[in-house]
Amino acid sequence: MAEKKFLMGNEALGRAARAAGAKAFFGYPITPSSEIMHFWAGEASSEQGKKDGLVFLQAEDEVAAGFMVIGGVLAGMKTFTASAGPGNVLLQDGFSMAEAMRFPVVAYIMQRGGPSTSTVIYSQSEVNLTCFGGNGNGYRIVYSPSSIQDLYDYGIKVFNTAWKYRFPTFLLGDGYLAKTMSEVEIYDPAERGIKMEPTEAYMLEKTRTRPLPSIVPSPELEIRTADGVDYDCMRNCLNFEEETATVNREILEAFEKAAPEIMEWEEYGPKKAKKLIVAHGIVAAASKAAVDESVGGKSEARLFRPITLRPFPIDALRKAAEGAEVIVVPESALGQFARFVKDALYGHCSAKIIELSKPSMGILPEEIAAAVNAATK
Amino acid sequence: MKAPYRIIVSGEGGQGVLSIAKIIATAAWLQGRKSVYMPYFTTEKQGGVSIGFAQIGDTPIPFPKFDKADMIVALSQRALERLLPFLQEGTTVIANSFLVKDFSSVAKWNPKAIDATTIAREQLKKPRTFNMVIMGAMLRFIPGMTKDGFAQALEKTFKDKYVRDPDLKELNEKAFLLGYDLTK
Amino acid sequence: MAGATKDDDKIALAFPKCVRIESKPHLFCPGCGHPEVLKALGFAIDELGIQQKTAFGIDIGCSLLAWDYFNLDTVETHHGRTIPTMVAFKRCNPDAATIAYVGDGGAYAIGLSHLINAAIRDEKIMVIVVNNAVYAMTGGQESPTTLPGMKVATAPAGADQYYMKAPELIRNVNPNAFVARGITTVQPALRALMKDALQFHLAGKGFTFVEVLSQCPLNWKTMDKPEMTFDFLEKTLAKAYPVKRY
Repeated sequence: MAEKKFLMGNEALGRAARAAGAKAFFGYPITPSSEIMHFWAGEASSEQGKKDGLVFLQAEDEVAAGFMVIGGVLAGMKTFTASAGPGNVLLQDGFSMAEAMRFPVVAYIMQRGGPSTSTVIYSQSEVNLTCFGGNGNGYRIVYSPSSIQDLYDYGIKVFNTAWKYRFPTFLLGDGYLAKTMSEVEIYDPAERGIKMEPTEAYMLEKTRTRPLPSIVPSPELEIRTADGVDYDCMRNCLNFEEETATVNREILEAFEKAAPEIMEWEEYGPKKAKKLIVAHGIVAAASKAAVDESVGGKSEARLFRPITLRPFPIDALRKAAEGAEVIVVPESALGQFARFVKDALYGHCSAKIIELSKPSMGILPEEIAAAVNAATK
Repeated sequence: MKAPYRIIVSGEGGQGVLSIAKIIATAAWLQGRKSVYMPYFTTEKQGGVSIGFAQIGDTPIPFPKFDKADMIVALSQRALERLLPFLQEGTTVIANSFLVKDFSSVAKWNPKAIDATTIAREQLKKPRTFNMVIMGAMLRFIPGMTKDGFAQALEKTFKDKYVRDPDLKELNEKAFLLGYDLTK
Repeated sequence: MAGATKDDDKIALAFPKCVRIESKPHLFCPGCGHPEVLKALGFAIDELGIQQKTAFGIDIGCSLLAWDYFNLDTVETHHGRTIPTMVAFKRCNPDAATIAYVGDGGAYAIGLSHLINAAIRDEKIMVIVVNNAVYAMTGGQESPTTLPGMKVATAPAGADQYYMKAPELIRNVNPNAFVARGITTVQPALRALMKDALQFHLAGKGFTFVEVLSQCPLNWKTMDKPEMTFDFLEKTLAKAYPVKRY
């Protein structure tokens, strides 16, 4: 069933969600992610979609969409939304509830200009928002794809990660990837031995394989038994500081336990190179081209690319930074990604860090190569 | 690693600028090449800025945008001025001379002025086919693309449209060849 | 002991089976209207035998104190967001009895867009709005149903002349929905209203909307004058907001 197609990024994502067994989508139109919603609307109204029981609703706004995704998850369906920019801002109301209560909501975020309405085109300026939005502490899982193939591969993976570990899980793409057409291999995950994680409803599920107390933070959950039947009662409003301390501690512990299994990164280029580029998303793809240009030359460089921003591969980056004389961090934002890098390397690396910050603007391989050439320790 | 062939197309929103770049990239992929297409536009549905980036090569292309082009295609005067920064030594310049009258800024590049709109109206009786005329003109310069390969690609891309409107296939082919022959 | 059995019988008569008896005494203020609404709802749930298939959504505000009240699968959402959560839940689990239990602030201010859109789309959920004309839990601020001249925390000189008649609004945008306004003062009528609404909802007939006029002696500052509480509820509020089926 694996087939090579020439697809737009957003269509690759729509197909990935289908391949992953997603059942419900709630969203709102916003450039550059709307094609994902159009694709799903088409699927849901098709014969096969009706047979598969797909659910689709275009919500009245992203605030509603965020809570509708929670509703779908509570009913035990793999549920997702897709958005960008100001829509991502509004979704944080729902996402923060999901974060507090360990609901596996999934979202494809295709970053656009920021702050505010800005351009509909592209940025990497929603790193802060997607990783740390809402009033929580950022205990969410965030993947940063760097190619159309990544969109498909990780567009499937986000659902498995979400339902296995029960954290809000995001695919943090961007407007360039969303709209670019390129070759992508689409496949049925089963053909590749990818085990699809089963779901279980949070409400009205009377036979469980994973008891809710192992998921929902204890102060937020009460299971009441009457006449031999269990009733699951979940809340997010707490009364005492001790309760909220417990909620935060339990979320932290679960996240830290899961992190080593979730963390992903990639390294590229000659291991002996003294110049290190640290980049994510499509900027990492451009950085690879810059590395290729530098190989064998005076300004030989190598790349460290975190694939998960949350959890961030701190130890792997520290190891990669050993022997680096200078570190170049290109990003289409003002320091949002660089902050992760500096945070990880503080106290572990004395190399100079040069930030190539181009907020909401594309960064060409040539620009990264020039920055690397100019970088001296 | 040989750099891919880089094409940038621009015009006013609603002229089918993006379609040109997209069809060329798709045709190249259908012919077994590696290609990437990316649109770039402002918020207006019509009459805004519209730019299509297409790259065609033999190895996977890492980044969808570029700053210097091997070919620029302008469908309006404003678009021609917008594309000037993408010029480099040897860039092929193609423009729809129905709307592009002033070629002084690109004189050095021996621009190919094609009045695609008039050709489409008078010879094909279907103004919308002006895109096909332009694509025919473009094809001659794109390495590794053949007339037949492109025709096959068009058939695949417009399969459903051709079923609804069988005359369209012939019309597109005719338009395409007219453009192709003009750049002999 | 013989005496204990008689008391147990008394409790069995006084409270619905689906109520969590351990939650007694309830967490609401003495004299609050919520327990009356919940009791009526509980009896209807018992009568229709749907305890095990009911998904009960509550808002932030005094409605959240209902979290302890029932043995029902319950989820508390963010303020004003109970309706979209339960809309989606129902779409993904069409067999469930799906209730959104909210206050006038959550339903008519912050959540109004969700309410109206759900009504227009004829979403197959049941919404119960407990209307006491103030934001009670947060200290008595003006709500969309505060009546002109009422002195409240954010209108100390008296509330403005604008107020929202929601059942009328819902009926206007959805001719098919079940729309009614009840009142806490008479249990049998309230119970009958809850049962009728639930039956409409369970039959999948369409959007089910029940507003219940309720008292808040704390924020109405009538804690020590119960006759004034019911005066205001039955004479003033019920005059502005007619108690009837729409």
